[in-house]
Amino acid sequence: MKFRAKIVDAACLNHFTRVSATIAKLAKTCTLRISPQKLNFIVSDKAASGGVSMWCELEQENFFSEFQMEGVSAENNAIYLELLSENLSRALKTAQNARALKIKLTNKHFPCLTVSIELLSVSSSSRIVTHDIPVKVIPRKLWKDLQEPTVPVSDVSIYLPVLKTMKSIVEKMKNISNHLIIEANLSGELNLKIETELVCVTTHFKDLGNPQSASEDASQDRDPEQMAEVHIDIRKLLQFLAGQQVNPTKAVCNIVRNKIIHFDLLHEDVSLQYFIPAFS
Amino acid sequence: MKSILPIFRCLNSLERNVEKCKIFTSSDLCKVVIQFFCRHGIRRTHNVCFQESQPLQVIFEKNMCSNMLIIQPRVLAEAVVLFTSSQEEVTLAVTPLSVCLKSSSDEPMDLTSSVYSEMFVGPDEFDFFQIGADTEITFCFKELKGMLTFSEATHAPIAIHFDFPGKPMALSIDDMLLEANFILATLADEPSRASSPPSLCLSQKQKRSDLMCSTNNNSKTGKNATSKAPGCILRKAAPKRLYPNETQTDIPALENCGSPIMKRVNEDISEVPESSVSNTEEGPGSSYLRQFSCVFFGAVSSDQRQHFNYPFDSLATASDSEEDMNNGSSSTF
Repeated sequence: MKFRAKIVDAACLNHFTRVSATIAKLAKTCTLRISPQKLNFIVSDKAASGGVSMWCELEQENFFSEFQMEGVSAENNAIYLELLSENLSRALKTAQNARALKIKLTNKHFPCLTVSIELLSVSSSSRIVTHDIPVKVIPRKLWKDLQEPTVPVSDVSIYLPVLKTMKSIVEKMKNISNHLIIEANLSGELNLKIETELVCVTTHFKDLGNPQSASEDASQDRDPEQMAEVHIDIRKLLQFLAGQQVNPTKAVCNIVRNKIIHFDLLHEDVSLQYFIPAFS
Repeated sequence: MKSILPIFRCLNSLERNVEKCKIFTSSDLCKVVIQFFCRHGIRRTHNVCFQESQPLQVIFEKNMCSNMLIIQPRVLAEAVVLFTSSQEEVTLAVTPLSVCLKSSSDEPMDLTSSVYSEMFVGPDEFDFFQIGADTEITFCFKELKGMLTFSEATHAPIAIHFDFPGKPMALSIDDMLLEANFILATLADEPSRASSPPSLCLSQKQKRSDLMCSTNNNSKTGKNATSKAPGCILRKAAPKRLYPNETQTDIPALENCGSPIMKRVNEDISEVPESSVSNTEEGPGSSYLRQFSCVFFGAVSSDQRQHFNYPFDSLATASDSEEDMNNGSSSTF
């Protein structure tokens, strides 16, 4: 198994650093999947994440000026590594103003993702910073749990409001109850509801717009005003929203009534999908 | 230090209001008196009780070290940022061509262990670069961070003096106003060898009282196996643990010493015993202490009213004081 990649462009480096910082906020441990065209950050719902799963995908050629990998075998040309997301994020953060950044898979005493940074310094000589991030190589038999989740057929698909606004509202609602009801309809309306014995609080978002539905026939039958709702743990939603530092280019939420809510975000060229299951 | 810090806490308000600050000891009682002469005739007095102690002093000739580096604090700060705060020890590895600061850990690596980080710095980033031989020394990271915070305030370059593993190293700052030396122990190569060669034998400073020496109890690392015998304290390094700054002279637990009674001011500042003044500075004699006192008094206006000629009015007794008496310090307004 081999992996080496290099970033020389400052904008790409910043973008990659931001992506890893977002991942670090969303999951303590994640799986990095390296394949010839893509990099993925994966949290599977089998992991101890309370049923939450995440799939983040980026095209490697949008970031790396050099990229070489050799997977486990020719048929299974991928590498799956488990690591602490925070470690990668911190290592990348030290690379501000770097002239070049190299990442490679190494095995000194333990398999590591080695991040090697050439920093510009005031004097003529440059500084070399190296971080060895310990990783665990995931054996092939466990790969099936780490595949791209199928996007469920949703009852409602709607564009999200500004995430920062949503986050501040959800933060306040968390003080009242952990049980949040999200509902949306095909008329561009989304509601966040908290219901307790003493108080009910609802926040209404309007005119959000709905993405074009793939199957036009199905949507003809549905009453556009009818809400599809799902009950979720508010803390999971808050963790997701808190991880988004920048407002995404596109943000869609798909609701499967009483089953699951699926967030599909696009940050420039990085796609992030996040699944929160309903309370069982 | 905890009793002194709150007195000098609000730097802005001190600079605005205080015209003169006087620090002296009261000849009869075990008290250091810190007085602020403020605008509008306000005089604020703080009494800090002290107790005699035998400060530890390291005999360490930093100028005899074969390796010396002088570096700007900013560069060191940029290196320190690489390591997590949970990092206990770092290693400084030097060759005549490069200097490397790297994380140091004895345990074998696994998925949950912290990231290994290192930074190579070229010789031209140093203000002074003298390396006798290739060396790697390992020392406590927390102490380095603490000292770096201190030096960033002075903006003076930091000099690092060291020899071989096991021999102490010195981090020094030499500024116009102060000189600070931080002596750190370094990890010895072999656990069986004591890390303190005989030259580290500590001797006591000249004492003015006959109290027995007190042990340094506030160290968190629990390193102190200091024997109580005054005269010579030889510290043996445990294979893994490192000892933080050995020149610390902590103010021992202060006692509640009752109501402060004001006495005639003792103008001779040099009588302030070293144990109640800054614990990071060393240097014999009172000329150093006067130098230190300039740090605080330089900012005061030169409008000298002869406050110290007036006998002190006992404006209020301790029971009126708002300060927490449990600190052993009180102020009268």
